[in-house]
Amino acid sequence: MSLTHDESMYPKFAVVGHPNKGKSSIVSALALDDSVHISNVSGTTTKQRSFPLKVDGRILYELLDTPGFQRARRVLAWLQKHDVSADKRYEVVEKFINVHKFDVKYNDEIELLTPIMEGAGIIYVVDGSKPYGEEYEAEMEILRWTGQPSMALINHIDEEDYSAEWKRALGQYFKMVRTFNPMKTDREQHISILESMSQLKEEWITPIKKSIMLFERYQEQKIYRSAGNIAKLIHQSLGLIQKLSFDTEEVLDTDKQKVEEKYKNTLRTLEKKTQKQIEIIWNHQQLKKEQAFLTFDELDLFSEESASVFGLTHKELIFTGVTSGAITGAGIDLLFAGHTLLLGGMVGAVVGGTGAYFGFKELSDIKVLGQNLGKRYLQMGPMNNRNFPYILLGRAIFHASHIATRSHAKRSIEDLSIDKHFKDKWLDDTLRKNLEKHHKLFRSGNTVDMEAISTYEGLIETVLKKLVG
Amino acid sequence: MSIKSYLNLYQLQEQDKTTKEERRSFGLSYSGLQNKHIKQLTTWIESRYDTLSHPLLSETFATYLYGLTFVLVILGFLVGFFSGIALLSYNGTSPVNVVYFMAMVIALPLFTMLLSLFSMLKAQQTQSVLVHLSPAYWMEKILLLLPHRFQFDIEGLHINPLLSNWLVIKRSQFIALFFSIGLGLSLLMMVATKDIAFAWSTTLQITPTDFHSFLLMVSTPWSGWLPSAVPSLELIEQSHYFRLGDRLGEEMIKNASSLGEWWKFLVCATLFYAIFLRFLVYLLASFGFHKALEKSMLSMDGVRQLLRDINEPIISTNAEVRTEKQEIDISGHLQIALDMGNTYTIVQGWAMPEMTIKVLNDSLCITASFVYEVGGSNSLKEDSLVISKSKGTVLLYVKAWEPPTMDFIDYLEELVETVAKVIVTPIGTEENHYVTTEKSMKEWERKLATYDNEKIWLQRINAQIIEEK
Repeated sequence: MSLTHDESMYPKFAVVGHPNKGKSSIVSALALDDSVHISNVSGTTTKQRSFPLKVDGRILYELLDTPGFQRARRVLAWLQKHDVSADKRYEVVEKFINVHKFDVKYNDEIELLTPIMEGAGIIYVVDGSKPYGEEYEAEMEILRWTGQPSMALINHIDEEDYSAEWKRALGQYFKMVRTFNPMKTDREQHISILESMSQLKEEWITPIKKSIMLFERYQEQKIYRSAGNIAKLIHQSLGLIQKLSFDTEEVLDTDKQKVEEKYKNTLRTLEKKTQKQIEIIWNHQQLKKEQAFLTFDELDLFSEESASVFGLTHKELIFTGVTSGAITGAGIDLLFAGHTLLLGGMVGAVVGGTGAYFGFKELSDIKVLGQNLGKRYLQMGPMNNRNFPYILLGRAIFHASHIATRSHAKRSIEDLSIDKHFKDKWLDDTLRKNLEKHHKLFRSGNTVDMEAISTYEGLIETVLKKLVG
Repeated sequence: MSIKSYLNLYQLQEQDKTTKEERRSFGLSYSGLQNKHIKQLTTWIESRYDTLSHPLLSETFATYLYGLTFVLVILGFLVGFFSGIALLSYNGTSPVNVVYFMAMVIALPLFTMLLSLFSMLKAQQTQSVLVHLSPAYWMEKILLLLPHRFQFDIEGLHINPLLSNWLVIKRSQFIALFFSIGLGLSLLMMVATKDIAFAWSTTLQITPTDFHSFLLMVSTPWSGWLPSAVPSLELIEQSHYFRLGDRLGEEMIKNASSLGEWWKFLVCATLFYAIFLRFLVYLLASFGFHKALEKSMLSMDGVRQLLRDINEPIISTNAEVRTEKQEIDISGHLQIALDMGNTYTIVQGWAMPEMTIKVLNDSLCITASFVYEVGGSNSLKEDSLVISKSKGTVLLYVKAWEPPTMDFIDYLEELVETVAKVIVTPIGTEENHYVTTEKSMKEWERKLATYDNEKIWLQRINAQIIEEK
């Protein structure tokens, strides 16, 4: 299907520059896609790659990752051989493309100049952590010859800062010079760059503004999808039942250990599966291949450390048990119109508190079932431990918030330090009470109304919004 | 919208294989229904109806449900009809006690309607005792006794508890309505075909005046427009019957013709309390059922996601074509210069001003007969001139942080054709005392190795060399 004139008139931006100056990182960060690869040898990117922002199949704008300049001086020399006035220079560039279309020598230049000559705005990327060099001038001059709207982005690959000298040089060639660190980018910075891009051409202001609004919506979509996956994880994990059949007369300890291990492994698998789904939601598919950086390999789901970082303290746990028990008890009081002299609430609080205290260590009872039916089996689950949902939820929220804020330009596997006070950032007393109501429901093993799951999703969504923004 | 819509949606969700794109495409095709969730769902069911596998769950379930309801309605009607006949049987000796009939057409309906209203309020609960009291509830139990094929057909079907409660409530009202109609018909038939002597009798100490007041209250709904259907005090006094003696009193025999006047009251009571009010409760139950149906459809597993997919635009920012990471096989050999000499005839600097080269030489204690700037702002002709002047061993400084471009490689290839040896020496920034990073050295090493030229050497400048110099 061919595009109509209007449909093909969306803004395009070609990200160009010297090789290895972070073009791909910038594209990754702006397109929220970590699938941009960097070769181990520079100059091996020979094809432009398109990253369109699409809404229902309609492109709003397109980012193009291009190969770096390889023979800028030769191209400029060819262009300068043509003595033309400024208004005819773009024709010379077009002629260069036509003449050298099939010349492998100029493959990279052709790849990067073609979209520009087709109307793409220029985003020229330099590394502000390295000194300015005169070899860049040929590249900037070629771009000037194209006559297309352009801006420069100063990237900071390393710590050193040569921005001032870069700004002085770039200012002579580009309408706009901005600093952008794709490794530390956040939503605000992302939007600010998009706004700058829209300023390159008047016709681009509206589509880019629309794109910015869509990015906001896209963020919301990703947050509620993550919340949905986390809610599903908690619901499934708490209601999980693991069975193991056995033939011996007596139940052996090894069988009990086996069923427990199986139970724990299933929970670990569920957690990893959710982590993968969340990585996909946030376009961090590459983490799959590079070994997910955040699988908590060093911090097992059932470790003491995990419980101490993500779980509730004994005090909080008892308090949660007391309040949730008291709520149940209060229900009894309400049923009898207070004629129980509020004893229901008091008894509920004690029972809830005691249950919580004793429930800190054990995960679930191991029951022997099927005694009368001939085929006996051990059953573990649903989850009894009141702390477990908070540990699992804390880990899931921690993972999701880091994935959501991780720049797509990052390719390294981070050694993530666990913030010991992470829990304080998202869990307060009110939320804990609300969560506990749901955890109790999930732990019951009964069919849970979708509405309850939706409410639970809503609670997680609020937390993620607060953490991710 | 009926239970069939719910079950069709249920089956669709179970068998759903639609992609996000298909769902969104549906949303765009019916853009007028944007965010009208119920309408969207019913249209979605219609559009996907052909994809449902046969036999349709909705057809199977509805056939049996309607069949059962029909049987229960007929039973209800017959029970009502024969109860009426039994209550109105007059053997010619003892009169018919209207209190029995009133209990059946006023007290019983009011009591059961009250229970129904309570059960409506409690319909949200999964295990509602009030609902379980209903005969319609037992229909579900009867379903289990049905042929095996049916059980197979609805195996795994989990109807939302709220909906199944309302289903029971609504059908209970329907059955009760037919029970009342049966009762009313039996009354009309008995009145028309028999001469019934009505009387009232009770063990309680109720005077005719008290009873009259009570009946006036009961007759309020029709007393205004049908006063003849309100028993007069006189009639009440005349028809007061005492069982002692087991025969009609003289007063009663004397007023035999007026005793039959009760029928008007009984018909009106039946029509109003047993039929009209029941019909209103049935309408209320139908309304509640409809609302429960909507709520259940919206809270069905996966429907929330379906609606989001239908209503939310598909936003994507990532590359259309995913690429695999490129690893270039570096098989070529590169000679590494282990010792940095002190004297060179020619020292060149790639993209470095002559002054910088001289400062470098000074820092590294290098003595050079000729110093040339190449690349950078030089023209290609100037570079060729330098090459023509070059011979022997050439020390070629390059900026370590700048990856080797093809422009440099072109120059190098041309140079090695003229000279005996080129020692490429990447240097770090002045701020870092010219010390290079391992990463940048590797980059140069890999690139130069790919040319596998014995005249090309690489000199590593590390902190130790700088110190020695």
